[in-house]
Amino acid sequence: MNSLIATYGRPLSALFLLLTALWAVGLIALPQAVMIERSLWVEERDTSVELRINALYSSLELKRFDLADAKSEARKTQVAEQIATLEAEIKTLEARESAPRKVYTLSNYTRMSSLHFTIFLKTIAYALCVTALSLMVCYPVAYAVAHLAPPTRAALMMLGLIVPYAINELLRVYAWLMILDYQGVVNTLLAWMGLVDFEARTWIPFLESSGSVFVAMVYTYILFMVFPIYNTLETLDHNQIEAGRDLGAPTWRIHQRIVIPHAKPGIAVGCLMTFMLSAGSYSVPQVITRGKAGDWFSQLIYRQFFESFNWNVGAAYSFTLLATCIGFIVLMMRLFKVGIRDIAK
Amino acid sequence: MTVAAALAHGKDVDLQGAAMRFGGFQAVAPTDLLIHAGEFFSILGPSGCGKTTILRMISGFLQPTDGRVLIGGQDMKGVGPNKRPTALIFQNLALFPLMSVWENVAFGLEARGVARGERKRRAQALLELVALGDQGDKRPSELSGGQRQRVAIARALAVEPAVLLLDEPLSALDLKLRQHMRAELRAIQRKIGITFVYITHDQGEALTMSDRIAVMNQGVIEQVDAADVLYNQPRTAFVATFVGEHNTVPGTLGATHDGVCRIDTPLGPLHALNPHALTPGSPALLFVRPERMRLLNGATKPPANAFEATLHRRDLEGAFLHLHLEAAGQSLVVHQTNTGTVPAPGTHRLGFEPDEARVLPPGALAHE
Ligand SMILES: Nc1ncnc2c1ncn2[C@@H]1O[C@H](COP(=O)(O)OP(=O)(O)OP(=O)(O)O)[C@@H](O)[C@H]1O
Ligand SMILES: [Mg+2]
Repeated sequence: MNSLIATYGRPLSALFLLLTALWAVGLIALPQAVMIERSLWVEERDTSVELRINALYSSLELKRFDLADAKSEARKTQVAEQIATLEAEIKTLEARESAPRKVYTLSNYTRMSSLHFTIFLKTIAYALCVTALSLMVCYPVAYAVAHLAPPTRAALMMLGLIVPYAINELLRVYAWLMILDYQGVVNTLLAWMGLVDFEARTWIPFLESSGSVFVAMVYTYILFMVFPIYNTLETLDHNQIEAGRDLGAPTWRIHQRIVIPHAKPGIAVGCLMTFMLSAGSYSVPQVITRGKAGDWFSQLIYRQFFESFNWNVGAAYSFTLLATCIGFIVLMMRLFKVGIRDIAK
Repeated sequence: MTVAAALAHGKDVDLQGAAMRFGGFQAVAPTDLLIHAGEFFSILGPSGCGKTTILRMISGFLQPTDGRVLIGGQDMKGVGPNKRPTALIFQNLALFPLMSVWENVAFGLEARGVARGERKRRAQALLELVALGDQGDKRPSELSGGQRQRVAIARALAVEPAVLLLDEPLSALDLKLRQHMRAELRAIQRKIGITFVYITHDQGEALTMSDRIAVMNQGVIEQVDAADVLYNQPRTAFVATFVGEHNTVPGTLGATHDGVCRIDTPLGPLHALNPHALTPGSPALLFVRPERMRLLNGATKPPANAFEATLHRRDLEGAFLHLHLEAAGQSLVVHQTNTGTVPAPGTHRLGFEPDEARVLPPGALAHE
C-alpha cells in the first residue's frame, strides 16, 4: 500500500484502488449478490382480499340500482358519491391483490423436483467425464509437445491446437454437429464403406448419445486443459526424465513419480477450468443433441429464465451449480495438495 | 563395508569405431577407445567438442550412427539407458526436487521394485558413504551445493552400476568446494572400485584425479595417456596447448640425430626432440613449457638453445614469477620460482635444453 503510494503518488494510487474496487464489486460481488438475492425469494399474490373485493362489487351493483331509482337530485348525488368511494376502495384492493409480494424463503432450493435433481447429478457426472476425458487426451499431447517433439515440430503442434480457437465457439460446435449428424461426415464415410444405409435409415445416431456431447466438449475446451499442463511440463528439466530413465525406471514410473508430481498444479488448473466450463456449458449440449439426448442442467437453467420466466428458481439453480463448482475446486485443491498460489502461477 | 563389497565390479567400456552424426554434422568422429574396468578415466576437451555426446552414447541415450559400444564385453546395441550397467551424473545433477533426499537416492531401487523398508535401509547406507547420513529427510533444495553433489553420487551408486558416468559434475561449484569434491570423488572411486568416466573441460580436474585422460577436440580424441605423459609428451599441437601452457614457435625442420632435430625458427636454429620423426624440410611447431625455459646468467653453463629476448612484463603470482618476453616477433612466457629477486626489464639471454622441447606437426591450437 505504502509502496504503491511511493511508486505512483497519491492520485494515481487512489485511481488504482478505485479501479480495483470497481472491478471487485462490478465483476465479482455484484452479479453474484444479485443472483443470490433473487434466488432467495418467491413472488406471492395476496388472495385474502378476494372476498372483500367480491363483496364490494355486489354492493356496487346495488348502489348502481339505487342510483337508477333515485328520485331527488340530492339523493342522486349522495349515491353517486357512495359509488365513487366504493370504486376507489375496489381499486386499491385490486391493486393490492395483483401486486406480487416478495416473500423470502429457501423454497427455490429445497423444492427442486426429483427430475431436475437427477439432471443436476447427471450433469455433474457428465462434466466429470468430460474432464477426465480431456485430461486423458491433453496430458499426452502436452507431454509430447513439451518433451518429445523437436522444437520446430512442437511449435507447429501448438499452432495446430490454437488455430481452431480463432473460430467462434459456436461454429466449432456446429462443425462437430456436421461431422456427427445422421448424414454427417462420419456416417457418410460409413455409408461409403457400405456399413450403413441412408435409404434404410440405418445410420448411427451419434447425436442422440451423450458421447457426442463429450467429444464436442473435449474439443471445445481442450486448450483450457492443454495449456496449463503444457506450461508446467515445460518447466520440467528434461534431464530429470532422463535421470529417471537412466536409473532404470520404466516409462510409467517416470510419469508417476517425476512428471505428474511436477505437472500437478497445471493438471489441477486444467481440470478445474474444464469442469467449470463443461458443467456450465449451454451451447454444446443444446446444439449437438437438439434436445434428443436429455437435458444438461445448464439447459434447464436457461429454460427457467426464458421459457418458464421463473427467474427466482433459475437463480437458485445457477447458484446451486456455482456452489457445486466451488466445492469441486476446493476438493481438487485438497486432493492435489495445491494452494491458491500454485494455481495463480 | 557391504555397500563397497556389492559395488566392486567395474566393467570396461569399449568404443569400436563409435561415431555420432547429427544430420550433416559429425559431432564425434569414429572413435576407438578402451576404458579399463575400475579405472578413473577422464575425457577432457573444450566446450562443444563432443564430450557429452560420447557419454550419451555410453549411457544409451544416443545410438552411435557408426561403430559400436561394448560394456563388459557386451554389445550395447538396442539396450536402453534403463537397462545398461551404467549410471549417469548430469551436469546439473537433475535431482528430483519433489522427493526427499533419501527418496532420491532410493529411486533406482524403487524402479526395480525393492520394498520400501529395504530401500530406506540401502539409501541410508549410501548416504553414510557420502557423509550425509543425517540429511535423508530433507529436500534437495535445502542442501548446499556440495551436499547436493554427493546426493547425486549416492543416487547413481544406488543402482550398483559397473560404470559411473559423470558429466562435468563439479562445474557448478565454487573453486574451494570443487577441489574438496575432487579428492572426495577420487576417494569414493577407490573405495568402490567401479569404472568412472569423468567428463570435464577443466584440465586441473582431469590431471589431479584421473588414471588416464583422453584429450578431445572437435569430435576427435587426440591422445589418451596418464596425466604425466600427457603433460610431458603431448603428441599433437592441440594437446600441447590445451593441457598446461606452452610457448609455441613455428619453423622448418632440419636434420634429426638420435631423436633430436634442428628446427629453423625466427629465433634462429634451435634443437628439440622429434617424437613423430618428421622429415627435414617439413613445417613444424616447436613447443617449450614456460617452466622449462630460463633466463641465463653468466655463471651457469648455457644450454644448447640460447637466444636474446626483451623482458617487458613481470607478473608475481605468489610462489611463481611469470615473465613475458619478446624475441624476433615471438612472444614468450617464462615461469620461475619466486626466489626473491625480480629480473629487471630489458634484454636477457634465454635458453632451454633440447630434451625439454618438442617438435610437432602444425595443427589446431587451443585458444584459451
Ligand atoms: N541433439 C543434437 N542435435 C544436433 N547437434 C547436437 C546435438 N547434441 C549435440 N550437438 C552438437 O554436437 C556438438 C558436441 O556437443 P556436446 O554436447 O557433446 O559437447 P560438449 O563437449 O559436451 O560441450 P560442453 O562442454 O559445452 O558441454 C556440439 O557442436 C553440439 O552443438
Ligand atoms: Mg557437455
